[in-house]
Amino acid sequence: MNTSPASDDAMLARPDTGMTRREVIGRLAALGAGAAVAAAPRRVAAQPAKAPMKLTFWTWENPQQRPWLHKRITQYTEKHPNIKVDFQWFTFTDLGKKVSVGYATGTAPDGFTTGDWLMPTWLARNLIAPLDVKQLGYPSVDAFRKDHADAFIAGAIQDGKVYGYPIWFYGFCNYLNTKQFKEVGLDPERDQPQTYAQLGEVAKRLTIKQGNKFARQGFKFAMHAPQWTMIQFNPIVVQSGGQWFDKAGKCTINNEAGVRAMTVRASIARQYGAEDPADSIATAPLPQMDWLKERCAMFSCHPIPPVAIKSQNPAMEAEGYYRPVQLPGVTADKRYSTCYGFNFVINANAPKDKQEVLHDMYRFVMSDLVDCWQATAPFTLARKSGWTDDPRVKSFPHVQEIIRAKDQGVFFPRTPVWNELADAMHRAVQKVMLNNADIKVALDEAAAEVDRATAEFKKS
Amino acid sequence: MSSIPGATARSLSARAPLRWPLHYRLRIQLWGVGFVLPTVLFFLVFKYGPMLWAMGLSFTSYDMMKTPRFVGVENYASLSRDPIFIQALLNTLVYIAGSTVFITAVGLGLALAINNRGRGRRLCLAGMFLTNIMPIVAVCLVWRFLFHPHGLINQILSPLGVGRIDWLTDSATAMPAIIGVTVWRFAPYFMVVFLAGLLAIPREYYEAAAIDGAGVLRRFRSITLPLLMPVTFFVVVVAALLSARIFLMPFLITGGGPGGATRVLSMLIYETGFSYMKMGRAAAISVVLFAIAMVFTIIQMRLFARNEEDAAA
Repeated sequence: MNTSPASDDAMLARPDTGMTRREVIGRLAALGAGAAVAAAPRRVAAQPAKAPMKLTFWTWENPQQRPWLHKRITQYTEKHPNIKVDFQWFTFTDLGKKVSVGYATGTAPDGFTTGDWLMPTWLARNLIAPLDVKQLGYPSVDAFRKDHADAFIAGAIQDGKVYGYPIWFYGFCNYLNTKQFKEVGLDPERDQPQTYAQLGEVAKRLTIKQGNKFARQGFKFAMHAPQWTMIQFNPIVVQSGGQWFDKAGKCTINNEAGVRAMTVRASIARQYGAEDPADSIATAPLPQMDWLKERCAMFSCHPIPPVAIKSQNPAMEAEGYYRPVQLPGVTADKRYSTCYGFNFVINANAPKDKQEVLHDMYRFVMSDLVDCWQATAPFTLARKSGWTDDPRVKSFPHVQEIIRAKDQGVFFPRTPVWNELADAMHRAVQKVMLNNADIKVALDEAAAEVDRATAEFKKS
Repeated sequence: MSSIPGATARSLSARAPLRWPLHYRLRIQLWGVGFVLPTVLFFLVFKYGPMLWAMGLSFTSYDMMKTPRFVGVENYASLSRDPIFIQALLNTLVYIAGSTVFITAVGLGLALAINNRGRGRRLCLAGMFLTNIMPIVAVCLVWRFLFHPHGLINQILSPLGVGRIDWLTDSATAMPAIIGVTVWRFAPYFMVVFLAGLLAIPREYYEAAAIDGAGVLRRFRSITLPLLMPVTFFVVVVAALLSARIFLMPFLITGGGPGGATRVLSMLIYETGFSYMKMGRAAAISVVLFAIAMVFTIIQMRLFARNEEDAAA
């Protein structure tokens, strides 16, 4: 049907056709209906369907982030009473496994949040749907790309298609206990370690030993989970000139640079005697516990919310005797950490109408970034605009240091065998740090494990 | 309708076999089958079905996303070359052996200690059995703190001149520590089994031996041990079966570390299946674990069969 305005005018202008007024109105009504049908898909894309709909959504547990996400999704469902969201959350380490099992059993959620290091795992198996950036409020993929941190976006976009809508994204800082610095005559500003060698020296001064017991460790690397092993080891590898994989996909962590990196990693305990890898009260929910309890003077950690500090050490929070600074580098000009974040994604098997509603919901959730900051600070966001200029953000203690860590961080290796890599490296670090194993041998074993996993993945 | 009484009676007697066409014995058997059918169906659907499916899966490559692809014995062949699997297999065998020996010895020792008429016997029995009913997660977390380098165990050992032991982070002590927790939890359970065996030994044997001049050790060696042998076999087999399937203790206490020193097969199955999404390979490992458990099951079945024969004789 020709519905152009020109043809309508022409039709109405021909009185010699013998059409009655009723016929003209009838035809106009038909044209209107046709136009409405033609426009219908665009309307669906712009706002969610009115029919009742139940969505399933999974995320990870975090005392600040999960409640805020829940609040925003609840606000969305209040705005759209026809939409119900079954909101479920799991521990940080379990979420990925739960989603995998969900896919296997056909019970995966319609939408979920995922660590961006797992994006290659989902993408390699076509499990997540491409996102329509226009529905997220961006005119083009380029505009979307420019509005988010570069390191992050590299993992969310594949073959020109966007698969992840970034939420939080942050780097690690070296959290100093400034009171303990001052106790040993160190100035937290001037004496903050810029290199790992300086870290060893400073940590040594901060260490207090009573016989074979550390009353206080100068610095502490987390030893409790593979994910943390990777976060803390990754920048040292990059700074040492190493890489995780070569172009052919072979794991190269056992080369000279890898050995150098592990030597640096082990030096705080082995060379400077400023760390006791076996002594920690930190567990998965609170890896920073030793630092919060002032059992170690420095700890490399993601942004720590003041409420988390207050809950474990009210004096430290009230008196403010802590400070995040950039992590040391292998050399002073390489002071950066691993940065990582979380995406909203959509299950590729979710029906189209649900996918459209999820777009709308994600856009709504992320439409008030200052509210997000206020609820979850100092967890920084992946988006560049809409929050950093707000006075409430600018006035947050140490915020510039935390944002800097995010902006200059390096990303994880992108591999579909991420879990195997992280587990193999975790074992290697344990062997070196706890069993005093030979560094080269431990890294050879780890690389062999990863190569076996890669070969099996390729075969499957 | 016939009006002849004899004809009605004949027709009734002719109809009766039609109502119950089956032989009485067969009917009884069918009733029996009817009663056990729900249980059989339950086991078929929820136990043997998944077991068979897992066995079938072990010959496939399956990442839980795509359709399983048949790969023959490749999963088994690659396992035999995989040092991680071999380490986990050896860990499992060490764990089974260590746990079984100590559960049996400690369980028997506790049973002998409690098998007297002393006061507070029941209280001791109840107290020891408590270890079995405590939530396993709480138990593991408490033991983690007890085994901490500056935890209670090292503090107790310190006055004896024992230096710091990194129980859970040293590959030499991590497995013994896990075995220790297992024994602590399960030995009292098997103590009850031993106690039942001890109570079944007639006291006259001990009295007669005492009159003949046999000492405590001699009585134990010549009366208690031989007569407890069937119970001991039972405990050994059941403890070994229990140990073969252990998962939560190493998972919660050491996470399989340090460097894989306490990673047992059940943990490897979990990691391979759910972390690495290699269900076919995980199924192959579970078949190996099943084979280990099967060995102990067969021993147990033979043992029971022999006991029944002895009893019948």
